[in-house]
Amino acid sequence: MDQKVDRRSFLNQLGVTVGAAAASAVPVIGPAEAQTASAPKGKIPDTPLKMGHMTFLTGPAAVLGEPSLKGHILAAEEINAKGGILGKRKIETITADEAAGTDANVKELRRMKLSEKIDMFTGVISSGNTPALGPVAEELGLLTIFVDGCTDFLWDKAVPNPKFTFRITNIQSADGVTCAVAAAQTWPTAKKIAHIHPDYSYGRNAFDHFTLAYKKLVPGAEVVSEGWPKLGTTDFTAHITKAMSANPDIIMSSVWGGDYVAMYKQALRYGMFNKAKFASTIAFGVAPHAIGKDHPEGVIAGVHSNYYFTYPAGNRWPANKTFVEKYHKRWNEYPNFQSDGAYHTLHMYRTAVEKANKLTGGWPDEEAIISQLEGMYFETAAGYLYIRPDNHQGYKDAVTGFSKNVDAYPFQILDPNRMITIPIRNITAPPGWPKPGSGHNDPTSTFNWIKETWPQVA
Amino acid sequence: MTIFIIQILNSFFYAAVLFLIAAGLSLIYGVMRIVNLAHGTLYALGAYVSAWVVGSALGHAVSGTLGLAGLLLLLPIGAVVVAAVGAVIEPTLLRPLYRRPEEYHLLVTFGLLMIMEDVIKFLFGPTPLTAGLIMDRMGSLPIGLLIYPTYNLVVIATGFFAAIGLWWFIYRTRFGVILRATSQDRRMASALGINVGRVYIQAFAIGCFMAGLGGAIVVPAQAAVLGIGIEVLVLAFVVVVVGGLGSLEGALVGALIVSFVRTAGIQFFPEIELAVLYLIATAVLLVRPTGLFGRA
Repeated sequence: MDQKVDRRSFLNQLGVTVGAAAASAVPVIGPAEAQTASAPKGKIPDTPLKMGHMTFLTGPAAVLGEPSLKGHILAAEEINAKGGILGKRKIETITADEAAGTDANVKELRRMKLSEKIDMFTGVISSGNTPALGPVAEELGLLTIFVDGCTDFLWDKAVPNPKFTFRITNIQSADGVTCAVAAAQTWPTAKKIAHIHPDYSYGRNAFDHFTLAYKKLVPGAEVVSEGWPKLGTTDFTAHITKAMSANPDIIMSSVWGGDYVAMYKQALRYGMFNKAKFASTIAFGVAPHAIGKDHPEGVIAGVHSNYYFTYPAGNRWPANKTFVEKYHKRWNEYPNFQSDGAYHTLHMYRTAVEKANKLTGGWPDEEAIISQLEGMYFETAAGYLYIRPDNHQGYKDAVTGFSKNVDAYPFQILDPNRMITIPIRNITAPPGWPKPGSGHNDPTSTFNWIKETWPQVA
Repeated sequence: MTIFIIQILNSFFYAAVLFLIAAGLSLIYGVMRIVNLAHGTLYALGAYVSAWVVGSALGHAVSGTLGLAGLLLLLPIGAVVVAAVGAVIEPTLLRPLYRRPEEYHLLVTFGLLMIMEDVIKFLFGPTPLTAGLIMDRMGSLPIGLLIYPTYNLVVIATGFFAAIGLWWFIYRTRFGVILRATSQDRRMASALGINVGRVYIQAFAIGCFMAGLGGAIVVPAQAAVLGIGIEVLVLAFVVVVVGGLGSLEGALVGALIVSFVRTAGIQFFPEIELAVLYLIATAVLLVRPTGLFGRA
């Protein structure tokens, strides 16, 4: 693909849409909870269904992780209020704190399966943890739906042929690419990019994919500064000063959770947001009320390319309206993308069990549930979710947006009238694309796919 | 050049905070021979309490009547609360363990760290707290074409005066003599009629006050985030390893070295920012196993 194209026509090819009217012809379906089946077939045991939910309950990531547990609990309460899954099996959840560290998390997963006898495992936020937990879940034969921990590495290398493990939030490479597409579209003349990323797999992945995609879209773009703060750092003064010292056009960052809140507060006082444009993959991934009204407006404030509760607005996508209302009623706060992921993980599982029950009768075994999850097309608050059968990864259209203060909320939100939506298949490698180590040694298969197939914009 | 000046100020800012934490850690070890793993979490508690007070109705009332000065006066409340917590912890949790081997100290203070992390989350929730009002009121100073937050200079000054004050306190006052005597020989001090139990409470409370003060003064510039205490504890240990555990001068020099090396790493070698601190600590340990100012 050497032929030159201009940026606008390539962005059109990517199907990038901006604004409120992104959701095209939408068939009217009830919200997730209403996708219920008829009476269950066969005899269903009434033993409780034990689930393990692991997420950050302590540490700076808790502001991103606790909403995951809240989403899970909300869905479990809804299901239990109707008598449980298939009307019989109520959900009992055991929680674990992901902040215990990767080794301890692996031990906890084994303990949950072997001594607590859980039927399903879910949750997990960090990309450092899913590649360690995935192989163990496979080994234990434990049905697992990760809410996040979205590294490409999980399916590229750690669990290349998953059977028991699934993941619901968008794949990580989509995050950097979405941010790059949004930035290139918004500030097409910006060539000098300064980076500040947490020094671990997520930050590296965001840097690699942003840089690759941005260079394809903006010829002559260059990295003028790099900063790699430790995950959990709250002092960013030196990183901010360094990034500003390079006179960048854009400062791009994937710092997240409580770290990001500390970073933007410092950046405000150093005048960073006045010196350069700012683009982030995940700034607004935290619980929405953690972002104050002092946050700069009009920056690209990503949501891990997954979901923000103001979009689609109003009743355009009833599943979102209902979900936000229920969540707010239960927790007196608004959901983040982890809430959406954890909530719909349970409803998706319930739906799979109901469908499997129709085929097999009684309580379906794992194989039957898995075969229903594979290829499932499911309605969530964030839009349609597709579980790809080959890698068990959930795909939905990627979103990002611009920060804005409105009177309706006491915190800053993503402007629902200026959301950027990108069809996921246009920014992620298709099924069967060679994985790292087979024919190429790029960081991810999506990286290789972009490198090989995207045109260089002239 | 502007960047150079700002990065030096950034380093002094970070050194001031690190010094307050490491000095408390060192003081407690020097007097009681206890490595307090919960020290970082006491720093976090100081940050949370101060942020909460400044953001509360009291903060709004005070800023209304006294303005910025009132808010600045509210900040040390976090440090006072932490000192009070320390005065309770020492006689109840630590005193029964002085005669036991060090592993017990580590276990108890680590347990305390875990409990306090949860208590902080229980009291203040997972959402970060800020005291940014103070930063906004103080504004920024122009340096070249860039700006530098005025409040950060207050932090640097606080660190500087805390160092002088602590030095004066330990080397120039009667209480300092008693403190040093107790740290050198507990039994002899006790035989000379010193109430060792009271000295211990006071020393521990002072150490906690320093940690709490560190948290209190940093919170307007950053934010009180869950887990800040853990991150800072690790760095405080690097500081005392470089400077020498139990030494006040060591804490000061160690904080300056760690802070300047970190900033230089960020500016010039971003890829090895994490490694460079530990390389320095390793080098010091190889050459002087007790740290630069440590006693054998």
